[in-house]
Amino acid sequence: MADPAVGGPRTESAIQVHAATKSFERGVRAVDAVDLDVEAGEFFTLLGPSGCGKTTLLRLLAGLEQPDSGRITIGGRVMDGVPPHRRSVNTVFQSYALFPHRNVRRNIGFGLEMQAVAAAQIDARVRRIAELIGIDDLLDREIAQLSGGQRQRVALARAIVNEPDVLLLDEPLSALDADLRGRLQLELKRLQRQLGMTFVFVTHDQEEAMVMSDRMAVLDAGRIAQVGTPDAIYESPAALFVARFMGHQNFVPIHGRDAHGVDTPLGRLEGVFGAGDQLLLRPETIRLDDEAKTTPNRFEAVVEERLYRGGTTEYRLACESVRLLASRANRGQPAHQVGDRIHVGVSPRGTTTLTD
Amino acid sequence: MSGLRRDTRYLLATTAPGVFFIVVFLVLPSAYLVGMAFLSNGSYGLPTGPLTLDAFRELAGFGFLGWSPGNLYTLIRSVWQSLLATAIVIVIAYPAAYTISRQPVRWRAVMLLAVVVPSWTNQVIRSVGWMNIFAPDTVVSELAVRIGLTEAQMGLFPSQFAVIVGLVYNFLPFMVLPLYAAFERLDIEQVEAARDLFASPVAVFRHAVFPQTLPGLMAGTVLVAIPAFGMYVVTELLGGGKATMIGNLVARQFVQASNWPLGAAGAIIMIVVTLVGLKVLRDLGRRVGGDREVLL
Amino acid sequence: MSERRLAVGLRVFWYLLLAFLYAPLAVVVFFSFNAINSSARFGGFSLTWYEQLFSNDAIIGALVNTVALALTSSLIAIVIGGMLGYGFYRYRLRRLSWLIWLIYLPMVMPDIIFGIAEMIFFIAIDERLGILAPGLGTMIIAHVTFQVPFVALLVNARLLGLDPQLFEAAQDLYASPWQRARFFLLPVLVPAIVSSFLLALTLSIDDFVISFFTAGPESTTLPIYIWSAIRKGVTPEVNAIATLMIASVFVVAVISLLAQRRPNASSTPNRSASS
Repeated sequence: MADPAVGGPRTESAIQVHAATKSFERGVRAVDAVDLDVEAGEFFTLLGPSGCGKTTLLRLLAGLEQPDSGRITIGGRVMDGVPPHRRSVNTVFQSYALFPHRNVRRNIGFGLEMQAVAAAQIDARVRRIAELIGIDDLLDREIAQLSGGQRQRVALARAIVNEPDVLLLDEPLSALDADLRGRLQLELKRLQRQLGMTFVFVTHDQEEAMVMSDRMAVLDAGRIAQVGTPDAIYESPAALFVARFMGHQNFVPIHGRDAHGVDTPLGRLEGVFGAGDQLLLRPETIRLDDEAKTTPNRFEAVVEERLYRGGTTEYRLACESVRLLASRANRGQPAHQVGDRIHVGVSPRGTTTLTD
Repeated sequence: MSGLRRDTRYLLATTAPGVFFIVVFLVLPSAYLVGMAFLSNGSYGLPTGPLTLDAFRELAGFGFLGWSPGNLYTLIRSVWQSLLATAIVIVIAYPAAYTISRQPVRWRAVMLLAVVVPSWTNQVIRSVGWMNIFAPDTVVSELAVRIGLTEAQMGLFPSQFAVIVGLVYNFLPFMVLPLYAAFERLDIEQVEAARDLFASPVAVFRHAVFPQTLPGLMAGTVLVAIPAFGMYVVTELLGGGKATMIGNLVARQFVQASNWPLGAAGAIIMIVVTLVGLKVLRDLGRRVGGDREVLL
Repeated sequence: MSERRLAVGLRVFWYLLLAFLYAPLAVVVFFSFNAINSSARFGGFSLTWYEQLFSNDAIIGALVNTVALALTSSLIAIVIGGMLGYGFYRYRLRRLSWLIWLIYLPMVMPDIIFGIAEMIFFIAIDERLGILAPGLGTMIIAHVTFQVPFVALLVNARLLGLDPQLFEAAQDLYASPWQRARFFLLPVLVPAIVSSFLLALTLSIDDFVISFFTAGPESTTLPIYIWSAIRKGVTPEVNAIATLMIASVFVVAVISLLAQRRPNASSTPNRSASS
């Protein structure tokens, strides 16, 4: 296989990872034979619980670690043995890592300074990026004077101003409070689209991943469990681990099946269901009250708990010895109280089956 | 991996000069000194062969004229004086550290500085100051004569009293600083809890305040008792011959060229006491302060 | 005991403490202006002893030696100690616990033992190899040896206070190893290096015992001069020298107080609700 030459033409993929493995002490494999392709210009997220290897994988891309085996290609250039300061990749660190002895302007310009860019050019580029990100009024401040959100933006500017092939973001929003976080999520998404830059984003928050990504990869113990768009991963998880991690809770075991339906502890369910021995019912697909009449499988359930969430209401139901979580948008329907008996309906559409 | 070997070379390059200095210019000389204790006392006090334990016997008091307790008294006096000075320092430093910690924040730096600055002056100068104060005919000495502490025309120095004052003066700042740090870190809620549970002010101090300051106390004791034990300048200047400590004994063997091996033997005792004292205090400090590393 | 009485009691205690701490120094300063040669009675204000100081070659020589010794040893110490502190920090994940004992050793060794060990060592080397005769050179070596641990620990402490990701950020931002040292490490370490330099200076100027045992006939320092002088009794001349040394300490103290205040002026955090 011909190696893509250093300095050769840019290929479609911004990043190609082939069988990358990285172990640490005592042989623990943080990254285990991972294959990954990230397309140029996409917002790609690495999602998983702590310890799944997502941060290690990111560091392999940054060059802060070298893989034990496998190959990483970025922007068409093979990255074997290439140290971080020679990769066209920049990182937004989790703790921001802003240099305390430099002010905002000189932090942002640091990478350009190291690349011996002319001072006038540095000045212009720093100013431009600061305006883009909305921190142009902070340029002469000291780092110690900045709030968390401001620091995060400076870290972002400092990375982006270098126009790297790939921007890596290591849980950049995890230290911020919910309200600020939500706003910055949207800003980051907008920024990425505006710049057309390839972003690789690491998070453990599945909602954040779904909101921001074009595509995402779910990692489990150093391996990739599933890659796809947020819709695909949420609605059709490929494995139990992925389903659980994405927040799904309704798993109903399938005892037996025939041509017309399946047998479950809920009872018999008519319809065509996929192969597999666990049935995943997403809360929003469980029909309640009148809507249950539109489904082929109807049951009675007792409300055990009601969780009002403003836009939606969730009900914990006990249905034929099975516990289910149902959710529906609040459109003025009368609310059910704990202890109510209600009608519940399940249709094969919108379910997924998984194998344990 | 070549990276690893480059790493090791880097490590050696950065640490080598410092290690070299300490090993060649401290460890080696100390080893030489320790070895000297096992040599015989030659002419002019310089060491010669053969190997012997005479120096240690002399240190224990066995001289030409049989056994005399002089050296042992010196050793005991060193321990006693350093402990006494430490105790006095603790008694003074506690209220001092407490007072500073109760002031508004902007005053604290100044107050700490005020306590510490005298220790930035040379030890000799500090003792000169006390020599001035305790000389015969001075106000303080006259007062002492009036009270009956000392005879007329004698002055308060040289004396054991002056030495203790000098020791306390020298080491007070080193106890105030760690105690202040401990007070600053004090969990005030424990104090309030004690008050809430009907404890008297004395009990509050004993059960809620004092235990929390123990790590600072330990650190301070390390910084006071151990150097006090090895004190030379203060005892020499303010004590004359009346308060000889082991440091003076050792120095005398080298300065007046009487017996280097004996001096070396005394030095070994000092080193052993210093290291043992450090270990004991450090372990005590660990046990008392949980897992908070205070200084060492 | 009521709060009020405690507060008053502590205030009184504090002033007594200050009196105790500054009495010896005040007395030295006071009697250095004594017109008569006594430290018991004050005979009028006079500057004669200071005049005598500046015409006394031995004292000027001692002053020069003291300053030269302090500056030279401190400069050497910050280089060697700085490197040691950095190396110790950089490789702190390896088993280097023996190194910390080595670093502590000069700090815990009683100065009398330190001085005597150096003395016999240098004498032995001088006899066998003809180099390192007691003099300014041996004093510098001895001073550097006890200054290095302080510098190393200060530098190490400063590095420990840094976010480790800063090192990675510098790499990520295209800085080569040399650039990292020049644009990141050194600027960040400057405050630590400056304070350890000042500390090393103070330690050197304050030292008597080690200097005494490693000095040669031509390398008397001010503390040694004072020591020899007061063997014969405290004179106002000695008080004059001492006063000058005390004054320099006060100058350093004021400088350090001002240095502590200044950064506070510009680093008040500017928290805004929206960001």
